[in-house]
Amino acid sequence: MIETSKYHATQTDLAHEQAIVEAAKKEPAKFASLYDKYYEQIFRYIYQRVDDKEQAFDATQQVFVKAMESLHKYEFRGVPFASWLYRIASSEVNNVYRAQKQRTVNIDSVGVYGMMEEMEETKIDKYHDKIVDIIGQELPEDELQLIEMRFFEKRSFREIGEILEITENNAKVKTYRILEKLKKVIK
Amino acid sequence: MKRKTNLNRPEISSAEIAKRKNFDSVLKQTTIMGAKPLIKKPWFLSSVVAVTIAIVTTVVFMNQDKKADPPIVEQQEQISDSDSLALLAFYKEEEAKPCIAAPIKGLNVHYTTFKVIVEKGATLDYKTGSKIIIPKNAFADENGNLLKGEVELRYREFHDAVDFFVSGIPMTYDSAGVKYQFESAGMVEVLAYQNGKQVNMAPKKAIAIEMASDYKGTEYNFYKLDTMANNWSCLGKDKVLAKATTSKSTLSDQVVIVEVEETPEYKIFETKKVEAKKEKEVQMAALPKPIAEPSKPAQVRKGKFTFNLDVDAKEFPELNVYKGLLFEVGDENTNFNKSMYDITWDEASINEGSKAGENYKLTLKKGLKNYDLMVYPVFEGKNYETAMKNFQEKFNKYKTTLDKRIAEEKRVEEVYQAKVSENQRKQAELIKANQERVANEYKQMETTQKVMRAFTVSSFGVYNCDNPSAYPKGVLCTANIKNDLNKNLMCYDVYLVDNERNALFTYVRNPITNFSFNPKSKNMLFTVEHGVLYWLKPEQFNSITASSGAKDLLLNKVDQEFETVEEMKAYFNF
Repeated sequence: MIETSKYHATQTDLAHEQAIVEAAKKEPAKFASLYDKYYEQIFRYIYQRVDDKEQAFDATQQVFVKAMESLHKYEFRGVPFASWLYRIASSEVNNVYRAQKQRTVNIDSVGVYGMMEEMEETKIDKYHDKIVDIIGQELPEDELQLIEMRFFEKRSFREIGEILEITENNAKVKTYRILEKLKKVIK
Repeated sequence: MKRKTNLNRPEISSAEIAKRKNFDSVLKQTTIMGAKPLIKKPWFLSSVVAVTIAIVTTVVFMNQDKKADPPIVEQQEQISDSDSLALLAFYKEEEAKPCIAAPIKGLNVHYTTFKVIVEKGATLDYKTGSKIIIPKNAFADENGNLLKGEVELRYREFHDAVDFFVSGIPMTYDSAGVKYQFESAGMVEVLAYQNGKQVNMAPKKAIAIEMASDYKGTEYNFYKLDTMANNWSCLGKDKVLAKATTSKSTLSDQVVIVEVEETPEYKIFETKKVEAKKEKEVQMAALPKPIAEPSKPAQVRKGKFTFNLDVDAKEFPELNVYKGLLFEVGDENTNFNKSMYDITWDEASINEGSKAGENYKLTLKKGLKNYDLMVYPVFEGKNYETAMKNFQEKFNKYKTTLDKRIAEEKRVEEVYQAKVSENQRKQAELIKANQERVANEYKQMETTQKVMRAFTVSSFGVYNCDNPSAYPKGVLCTANIKNDLNKNLMCYDVYLVDNERNALFTYVRNPITNFSFNPKSKNMLFTVEHGVLYWLKPEQFNSITASSGAKDLLLNKVDQEFETVEEMKAYFNF
């Protein structure tokens, strides 16, 4: 699987980012570079989970407003600043769900094919629709999040672990368990 | 929750997303624009009521929501709560509180008040068994003028986590930027008043305190709380005294644990050891010097050249003992030529060679030229037999004296070793006796469960005998502090009590991002929301098993109102 995430950073990048965060704590205008850097990532994260584009833009704006308001209590924990933003974004997405009393699942067929490849399933066309149905309607929320991040957002297990606050290995093990389960269910 | 599925929805381009960026709008919406603290802004007081109402309303709605439709990831929900303006204001307010702020109104460790006549001084006995020794004329006013008459001394002690908690005295120690949690052997606060006004300690005066403590370790340091810096200042070490042996006059001499190496008895044995060694050396030196070992005569080798020389008997006595001595030219003389025999030398002299007693340097001189040859004393024919006989007699004599000497040396050594052994035996007895004494003293301490920790204070305030330590380890997680209705508590300080350590581990802000505890200990967690005490029971810690991720800790409201600290201790089984 090709991982397209721009999330990961070197130690130097992290240190640089941390310096910007510290500067922004004293002078909010300095938050601009972090806003520029992460705006698209956060938007795409939210848009993947909601139905409406405008709703996604509004929620993205709220994420950054809340991030700036809470910046004083942000503590660097050795992971990219984005992981903190993702947690705020996740909270915003939950607010959208609560308001709409509905959760949107956006499924990409290419991602489904990727799942079947991992499952070593060759009858792609036969099972595609069944998997879409299971993901869309039956998969428990915690499992859906993993599938969403891994196959529809193409995130690395490390990144998934950092966003969900679990270990990289745990993210991997859980994902493959879901695939195993799906394999049994579709047949 | 109902789900809607979209399959292969068109993607949005990066350009379209970028068009919607508007940082200025974010900046305008952000409420923390000024550097000035929120609570100092003029609009804060008027707006905080409205904000609080808004937050309460939000919480009510959210709770209703929760009941109807549980959130997908519970932990994430509190981000929106904790991000609220009210919470921010609350944190600022908490951080602006005085250094010592009792968390529960009306509940604190009470002072014991003593009346002291300044001119007389006093020795005061506190209810725990502690002593406070006040010298004469120990009090001064704010200008440093000595006071007269009666002064009111207010004194209290803090010995366990409940004492620390109710007092609001910070138990976090910042040492050069590194934060530690204090494990305490006890803490005191001593203040003085005259006519209701706080007074100072007189210059160059100090009050001696012998604080009764359950902790006899020497790992504790002595600190004073700097209420301005909101940190502790390390003043050094206190002294640990056995409770039964302490008295005013012997205060500084009654250190319980004395290393045996430091005792006079042990030092005497050390001196004896050195003396015995010196005595041995003197005796060895006094033994008769052994005669020189005679050299075994060598026989002249065939084909080798020899010189017959007259040797001065005074200069080389070892060569004069045998008759018919010759000097054989050694193999190492590569410059020797037998034609050298035919030369009539002007002068010949002999000196010690490269191997003392074994060879000699023969120098032959002709005109201005010298020839050096290494030569070896040898005998020929009957002279060799005579020399050998002579050598045997001398060697026997030498051997006799040598054996006698060895026997004498052995005797001196045995005497020395006997003394060393005796010394070691007595030292071992001393060490054993000392160990038994220390063990006995410890046993006595354990029986009474008390020692005295002695220190002097030269100003009034809060002092402690504490040991900076780390948070307990075992389970690490992010802890969301909630009430038993699963609602976030608006709390700032959250206190962990670990039954195995006399400390109050303090976390700040909710959620606690790096909450850790020792699962093998009996633990409790306390916090206060709007003056109401909440706690997490020891058994509730059993369900916190994972060492990562976020956990909701549902604290129980303590309905009972405590009138005294003792009541609270009884309630929590302290």
